[in-house]
Amino acid sequence: MRNIVYLLFLMVVIVHSQEKMTTAEAILLKEKVKAQAAETKTITSDFVQYKHLDFLTNDIVTKGNLAFKIPNFVKWAYVDPFVYSVIFKDENLYINDEGQKSDVNLSSSKLFKQLNKLIVNSVKGDMFDEKEFEISYFKINNVSDVHFSPINKKIAKYIKAFHIKFNGEGDVVEIKMIEPSDDYTRIVFSNRVLNTSVSDAVFAH
Amino acid sequence: MRYLLISIFFSLVGCASYTKKHGFKEVEIINKVIYNPYFSDASKDYVYKAKIEVYNKTFGGIFIVKKIAKGNHRVVFTTEMGSKIFDFSFHNDDFKVNYILDEINKKLLLNILEKDLRVLVREHENVLSKSIRENTILIETKIANKKYFYVFKDEQLNSVSRVKNGKEKVQFTFSKICDVTAKNIQILHHNIKLTINLKSIN
Repeated sequence: MRNIVYLLFLMVVIVHSQEKMTTAEAILLKEKVKAQAAETKTITSDFVQYKHLDFLTNDIVTKGNLAFKIPNFVKWAYVDPFVYSVIFKDENLYINDEGQKSDVNLSSSKLFKQLNKLIVNSVKGDMFDEKEFEISYFKINNVSDVHFSPINKKIAKYIKAFHIKFNGEGDVVEIKMIEPSDDYTRIVFSNRVLNTSVSDAVFAH
Repeated sequence: MRYLLISIFFSLVGCASYTKKHGFKEVEIINKVIYNPYFSDASKDYVYKAKIEVYNKTFGGIFIVKKIAKGNHRVVFTTEMGSKIFDFSFHNDDFKVNYILDEINKKLLLNILEKDLRVLVREHENVLSKSIRENTILIETKIANKKYFYVFKDEQLNSVSRVKNGKEKVQFTFSKICDVTAKNIQILHHNIKLTINLKSIN
């Protein structure tokens, strides 16, 4: 019985630890992230990706690093447990799968272009477009958690919501992409460095 | 009626020729059921890096199999970044599409995937004939009305072949076996340009 009471208490604490932001707090965060994104010329970061499928015993864990450079070049590289990279550049995806190179041109698919734009924007966290998303703001201690639900039904068919966590400086620390089935991909960033020198060669294929 | 007899004749000839062509000798069936152990542990998440070559195009992803209960498996394919491409359930003879990306939702492709993946996850099959050549045992069985030959070497399942009129149409090869997990799996189609390579990553 004591255990049940303790468990209930703990659940109440957990539920209460995430609060809705006030409108003023939400505006402040939005301005901070937008200012930060506008000043960001490059990002380098390590990441751990957790693929959650409800029926699995454990999440699938993959690790790698990320490089971003203006205007909108992103390299997403996995190093463990396999070596694989994808470069988002102009309207192309350049893939290197354990040395085997291929590319995909997205210019013919409006939907895939939009999805890729979302991935690129989510890296900077700058997705505060109320025409495109229903946005809700939460806070947990010093971390802000913003939920972006796509309004466009074609996009919502692929992604039910992006949950992006920002630290006190307005920098992205975690992205969670939730599918309509509620399975999700959670990406946790570490060693994130802004505006360091990143060579164009990083995005060469 | 005449056509039926001709087709029965050719299928019998075809069957005999496949085992004989490979130098096997038919023996008495002792165990009436064979067992594929490679996706049989419900406590395990089976996760593979996949490379699919189809008509000279190659693409990759993550291939996931989970045994949910007896005779019930979930098979999911995602991109490396985690987006789901397909999500199927196999429950005994039933097949359910939980999700498939619109762009690849084609009946022909679904049929191929259903047939191939069913063979991977099926654990028990009835033995129709048994043939032996040195340390290799060839077991004939049927899955969804298609003829298959299971090849066991030193009592380990090495490959499965779908055979029609004595000719191999699809070959499933299991290698790098470690603790009843096939670390490498290849599904090679002979009648269409399709090869699926799976490499275990957990």
